[in-house]
Amino acid sequence: MILKVNNLNKSFGGKRVLKDISFGLKTGEILAIIGPSGAGKTTLLRCINGLEKADKGTIVIDNIYLCKDQNNKNIPAKSKEMKKIRQKVGMVFQNYNLFPHMTVMENLIEAPINVLGLSKEEALNRAYDLLKNLGMEDKKDAYPFQLSGGQKQRVAIARALCLNPKILSLDEPTSALDPELREGIASIIKKLADKDMGILIISHDMEIVKRVATRIIFMAEGRIIKEATKEDFFNSFEDGRLKSFMVS
Amino acid sequence: MKGKKIFFVFALLVLSVFSLVGCSKKSASGEGSNTVIMGLDDTFAPMGFRDENGELVGFDIDLAKEVFARNGYEVKFQPIDWSMKESELNLGNIDLIWNGYSITEERKENVAFTDPYLENKQIIITLAGSSINSKADLKGRKVAVQNGSSTLDAIYKEPALVESFYGGEPVLFDTNHEAFMDLEACRVDAVVSDEVLARYYIQQKNPEDYKTLEEDFGSEEYGIGLRKEDKDLLELINNTLNEMRKDGTFDAIYEKWFGDKDK
Amino acid sequence: MLAYIYTLLPSIFDGLLMTLKVFFVTLILSIPLGVLVSIFRLSKIKVLAKITELYIWVMRGSPLMLQIVFIFFGLPIVGITLDRFTTVIIAFILNYAAYFGEIFRGGIESIDKGQYEAAKVLGLSPYRTFIRIILPQVFKIVLPSIGNEVITLVKDTSLVYIVGLGELLRAGKIASNRDASLVPLALVAVVYLLLTAIFTMVFNKVEKRFSYYE
Repeated sequence: MILKVNNLNKSFGGKRVLKDISFGLKTGEILAIIGPSGAGKTTLLRCINGLEKADKGTIVIDNIYLCKDQNNKNIPAKSKEMKKIRQKVGMVFQNYNLFPHMTVMENLIEAPINVLGLSKEEALNRAYDLLKNLGMEDKKDAYPFQLSGGQKQRVAIARALCLNPKILSLDEPTSALDPELREGIASIIKKLADKDMGILIISHDMEIVKRVATRIIFMAEGRIIKEATKEDFFNSFEDGRLKSFMVS
Repeated sequence: MKGKKIFFVFALLVLSVFSLVGCSKKSASGEGSNTVIMGLDDTFAPMGFRDENGELVGFDIDLAKEVFARNGYEVKFQPIDWSMKESELNLGNIDLIWNGYSITEERKENVAFTDPYLENKQIIITLAGSSINSKADLKGRKVAVQNGSSTLDAIYKEPALVESFYGGEPVLFDTNHEAFMDLEACRVDAVVSDEVLARYYIQQKNPEDYKTLEEDFGSEEYGIGLRKEDKDLLELINNTLNEMRKDGTFDAIYEKWFGDKDK
Repeated sequence: MLAYIYTLLPSIFDGLLMTLKVFFVTLILSIPLGVLVSIFRLSKIKVLAKITELYIWVMRGSPLMLQIVFIFFGLPIVGITLDRFTTVIIAFILNYAAYFGEIFRGGIESIDKGQYEAAKVLGLSPYRTFIRIILPQVFKIVLPSIGNEVITLVKDTSLVYIVGLGELLRAGKIASNRDASLVPLALVAVVYLLLTAIFTMVFNKVEKRFSYYE
């Protein structure tokens, strides 16, 4: 297990957003977390990426605690451990959050140089290889505003991959894309899982989930309602709540 | 690394500015008993101002140089803002205020004055061909005065006369200079100004173009201002100025700056 | 006429030198200090933020001329005596850092939260995030406002007359009173206009350099 989440709880101003969430992720797996908006999917992803602090429960990433409980108190990772964890989890934001004042290449090499301590040359080589794999090498000197949505997304993926993460998390990867581009991202995601990595996707888009996921977690109102392999999940279509979600 | 460097350079710059604080001077007179620092407004022609080469010149400058030279003192000139002159004196930044400094009762409370060395009348100037020949002739005429000046105080000592001006009040200008320019443009009929400034101005232009009336709006006296405790220095200046009057030096300097005294 | 203007040039040039000295020292020191002010103002440490707010209020809420007067004539009462130029520089830097601080604060607050989060998940330290990611974007946003302040600063330098320093405007006044002529003041006006024209041009250039992205 590259990621273990156990009994995770989180409230915002008295409203419980995550209720006793427990699940795991293995290397080579593509886990899709689906559910209606307000189900707590994004909050869960943000907790795993250390952007939100959980109130209770544990998150373990590659055997390092991101947070754990001790005598009913939530203990977050120390900054030294946190630094290691950051390198193990890559995040692709829904709106990509590329740095607009930097070229594609500069976006990619900033963290490897400063966080991993790579030389500029090593970082450039690594970034170039990643861009090439994603078919973006001719855009390496472009600025984000010169790119299409799909291109931006591929840069964002490359930026996350530059740190060699064990987990890649993607928040709604298809929401900002034209239908014809969704095909492209699906094949990219599938290709990535072949490597030494687990992938976590949050999505509304049943098409992409059907195409890429190996396992599916369905969330509603802060709880995990159903967890199953893709095949099992789509066979249990009789569940009314699932159906209504898929229609919407 | 680059960012850290920038912050380092910035910190250095800040330090260097504040280190200047350390070497600032304490008191003007602390620089040795034979040096005095004279404060002046270096925009005030003809009493003390800068010539084309940036050298301080003027009536007061010449007088001061002579007075201190005769007594073996070195005099330094420190330009100040006129509105801050008493603060500069009492803080010890300067030792003297000597720059067409009128003696008034209010100022005497904070400053020790020497004997008056120059009388400064509030005179009335018109263009040479004007029909105005007396204060009474100012009735119904436009009269220009510098705003906030001692001249303004002087004319209001005769409120009835001011009432009779065109519009019931004088036309106010920021500087004497502007008042004179308006006179030349014939937009005003007369200027009331202190004599020192007026004489200097007229001398810069063509003296034939102007007429100075016999009558005036009273006079004030210029003195040199010192800190009250500097009694020795005060006496020294008084004595030397008297000496200079007797041997003709004073008149020579006067004529250099204001033309013939009897004119 | 030209011959007369020629005689004015040395003293005008001396004045210009002082004006430029005050201008550049203030600009170079108050912009970084302004960045610091904006950071303090946005600090999570409440006391620091409040003190900075008070400082900004005092600096922006009272005339710069009074601040100069207080530093030069007021501080000696409590035993701190500064020389004329130091006084002016400290007053100008403190005053302009407050204005720049507020400009930078506006710029920092307008940066999308996502930029911080992207830097965070990449593991960049807060310091690096600010220097490499946030500040360059802030500079582009605030550049027009900074340009405005810079023009104001050129003209504000004339306030140093209050401690008796001879700058450009004073040089013009001296010559004007001496020669009973408006020409020196007109000449000074031309010099100010030239200065502001140059700085406007420089800022347009800088803005252009920052327009490589949108």
